[in-house]
Amino acid sequence: MAGEAESNGAEALPVTYRDTTKRYPGSDNPAVDSLSLDVAAGEICVLVGPSGCGKTTAMRMVNRMVEITDGDILVGDRSVRDRTPFELRREIGYVIQQIGLFPHRTIGENIATVPRMLGWDQSRTTQRVDELISVIGLDPELRDRYPAQLSGGQQQRVGVARALAANPGVMLMDEPFGAVDPINRERLQNEFLRLQAEVKKTILFVTHDIDEAIKMGDRIAVLREGGKLAQYATPAELLMAPANSFVEDFVGADRALKRLALMRVSDVDLWEAPLAFVGQSTGEVRAKLEGAEVPHALLVDSDRKPLGWLSETDLRKDLVPEVPDSSPHPILDGSDVMRDALSDLLQAESQYAPVVDGHGRITGVLSIEIVQEFLSSDEATEDEHSASERPLGV
Amino acid sequence: MSVNLTLVGQSLAEKLAGDSSDQCIQDNGAFCFNWIAENFSDRYVTPTLEHLYLVGFSVILGFLLAMGMAVLSHRQRWLVPPFIGVTGVLYTIPSVAFFFLLLPITGRGVDTALIALTAYNLQIIYRNIVAGLNNVPVGPKDAGRGMGMTARQMLWKVEFPLAVPEIVAGLRIATVSTVAIATLADFAGGGGLGSLIITGSNITFKTNILVVTVLAVGMAVIFDILFLLAQRRLTRWQTAGESRGGSKRFGAAMARSRAA
Repeated sequence: MAGEAESNGAEALPVTYRDTTKRYPGSDNPAVDSLSLDVAAGEICVLVGPSGCGKTTAMRMVNRMVEITDGDILVGDRSVRDRTPFELRREIGYVIQQIGLFPHRTIGENIATVPRMLGWDQSRTTQRVDELISVIGLDPELRDRYPAQLSGGQQQRVGVARALAANPGVMLMDEPFGAVDPINRERLQNEFLRLQAEVKKTILFVTHDIDEAIKMGDRIAVLREGGKLAQYATPAELLMAPANSFVEDFVGADRALKRLALMRVSDVDLWEAPLAFVGQSTGEVRAKLEGAEVPHALLVDSDRKPLGWLSETDLRKDLVPEVPDSSPHPILDGSDVMRDALSDLLQAESQYAPVVDGHGRITGVLSIEIVQEFLSSDEATEDEHSASERPLGV
Repeated sequence: MSVNLTLVGQSLAEKLAGDSSDQCIQDNGAFCFNWIAENFSDRYVTPTLEHLYLVGFSVILGFLLAMGMAVLSHRQRWLVPPFIGVTGVLYTIPSVAFFFLLLPITGRGVDTALIALTAYNLQIIYRNIVAGLNNVPVGPKDAGRGMGMTARQMLWKVEFPLAVPEIVAGLRIATVSTVAIATLADFAGGGGLGSLIITGSNITFKTNILVVTVLAVGMAVIFDILFLLAQRRLTRWQTAGESRGGSKRFGAAMARSRAA
């Protein structure tokens, strides 16, 4: 963001839980039990678990919305216990499921909440508000509207903008997309990941949805009843090597499929496509097909862009025809997420799909067989680690 | 003031006896226009202003006291039941009895009337402020707290503004009912429109009763409309959502409401 430097924005700060425990009076069991976590600066740490696992409590202790009973939490290198709650909270972004926009204040006024409390002057606040409205992709005209005049998705974006207003080093997000319908949720998640790639905040993100956790998290802390940490790992590690049966159950039986969401097509070993060019003799093509992994020839143009698959009838002619019998679709892009690629294959009822690079040139062929092999292999570990970065811009 | 009114009453009696030219008065008609036109400014203007004063003063004072109580009981929740209890007891005292109960302490006069009227307003206004504060949705409160608002900032910048619809509703009810109850204020020597009815033979004079009634009802209606307008203006954020779905529709709706 352009105005970042002059907003005196805080650097993203690491958050450290040190044996943090929360015990509510009158309850025998702690809500959060001796939690130790290191959240690196600029990472998204997702706290996930079934209801009653203390994930929200764990998050709310960071800005002292809930007071710590035992242990400590450091934001940067300072204990939150040494800070006054109001000062601390103004330095930490806060987004909640109910969004909680102030209905009596305009969008602009809502976003300006924390800067005003911090005593920013009018021009700096106005500039920051305008900047954020454009960052979240909102029509600048909506600035003077009231929250009730916006759609749920727009309100959610404003909620995020409001939390970013004073450029906090840390953001707390409590099921931020929980109240949005599934289609918009997907879009908001992707938008948020793009935004995070720019602003690089340290984010504690609470959800009960493991799929959302896998998608959003750089690291995932799985909590279980009684506020105990079951596993703290990257999404790939979590899917590949659940630490115990609780995590295994929580991650779900379809974790092999979920791993596909973490990979791009270019991350797997593709098959080589037997290529054919217009005007080439079919004899040459037939020779190429022998012993090839893909039993069909792919017609490409002079730029090696796929035109279609050649059928038996096509190959019965002397020369490769200009127009092939069947279309090349679906054509996959190397940067496609594997899960989506598989769904494209299944939808087209196709065994094979050409994979192209950013210029549309053929790089190989993805087959259902490759996906099957990948799913059944356990030693794909290395591949996955390298692919554990989230599929940005899905 | 009441002595004066008694004189007016006497003069009216003389008029009724002596001036036989006005057949309407002779027959004790319900709407003697000539008589009204002749007597309005002498007879009715001052009591109307007194009435306005009684209503305005007691509602404003009641509002300020109720706000003070609400701020206190918002911090100290345990105060809510005793506040509601005490104001509730005050509210149940019959008004005429209330005036007579106060007479030995505060004497005859406007002050006594104002004390009683204010006491009645407390219950309605306080209850509505508390209900309004309780109805503030949890989302904005949690968000405000999470962004580092102090309890005071939360109360004045979030909770009271969001309670405005209920608070104004309370003021409307209080004002309209005070317009009615204040017609009894003359029992405590407070004057007002009631002094035109409860003195001397005026109570049997139909045209007089009609004029007083129209003035009181008119005053209540005007107050009610003023509050309604104030409420619309203060809570535009609330009605704004109804026109969601594009600036064109919003503009059209605004134009319609202006035309209306």
